Amino acid sequence: MNENGKVDDKTIAALSSGAIILGGLLYYWLGEGQSAVELLELAYGSFKFFNNPLVF
Amino acid sequence: MLGSILSQYARSLAVFAAFLLMVLVESLGIREAIYPGLESFFNWMNQSSWLGVIGTTYGSVYATVEALHLLSMAVLGGTVLATDLRLLGIICKDVPSETLVTGTHKCFRWALLMAILTGIFCAAGVANKVYFMEVFWIKMLVLITGSCFMLFIKQPLLTSRPHAQINPWTIRLLAVTSMLIWFTVAATGRWIGFS
Repeated sequence: MNENGKVDDKTIAALSSGAIILGGLLYYWLGEGQSAVELLELAYGSFKFFNNPLVF
Repeated sequence: MLGSILSQYARSLAVFAAFLLMVLVESLGIREAIYPGLESFFNWMNQSSWLGVIGTTYGSVYATVEALHLLSMAVLGGTVLATDLRLLGIICKDVPSETLVTGTHKCFRWALLMAILTGIFCAAGVANKVYFMEVFWIKMLVLITGSCFMLFIKQPLLTSRPHAQINPWTIRLLAVTSMLIWFTVAATGRWIGFS
C-alpha cells in the first residue's frame, strides 16, 4: 500500500504474478506426482512406498 | 484518464498482458504451429554452429562449461535461498531483510547471466536431443518467467520501501513463489541430464 492507503502498482503486480506462477507450478508438480503414482500402480498393481517384495 | 491509469498501473497491466498472451498462444495453437519450424535451428545449433561443434567434439570443454553452469546455478540457488528464507523469517533473523535483499541481488544477476551463457553452450551440444524433450521447454518457460519475476516484480517491490510497510503475506507469497521457480529450474535441469 502507498501513503494514500491504496494498493499500489508494484503490490498488485507482485500478488497477481505470484499467484499465477505459484498456481501454475503447483499444478505442474502435482500432475507429475500423479502420473508417477499411476505409473507405479501400472507396474506393481498398487502404490506403496516400499515395492520391494522382500518388505512386507 | 486512460493514460493516467495506464501509467499508474503499468506493471500490473504488463503482467495481465503477458498472462493473456500465454493463454492466446496456447489456445490458438500458435505454439504447435511454431514448434516444427524450430527443429532445423536446433539441428544447426548442434551440427553446424561452432558452439555445437566444440560441445560435441571436445568432451573436456563440454564438461568444464557444464561444471561452470552447475556452479553458477549453485550460487544462484544460494542467493535465492538466503534471501527467501530470510524473508520468511527462518534464517539470519539478526540481519535486516532489506540488507540481504539488496546485497544478494547483484550476485544473483551475475550468477543468472553466467548460468544462461553456459546453458546456451550446454544446450547447443545436445540440441538435437533437447528439442524433443518436453521438460527442456518447461525449463525454458520457467527460466524466462522466473527471471522476469525476479528482475521486474520481486526486486522492485522489495527495494521500494522498508519491508515493515509491505503486507507480510505479500512477502511470503513472493518468497515461496521464488523458491518454487528456482527449484523447478534446477529440477528440470537435472531431469534433462537424466533423460
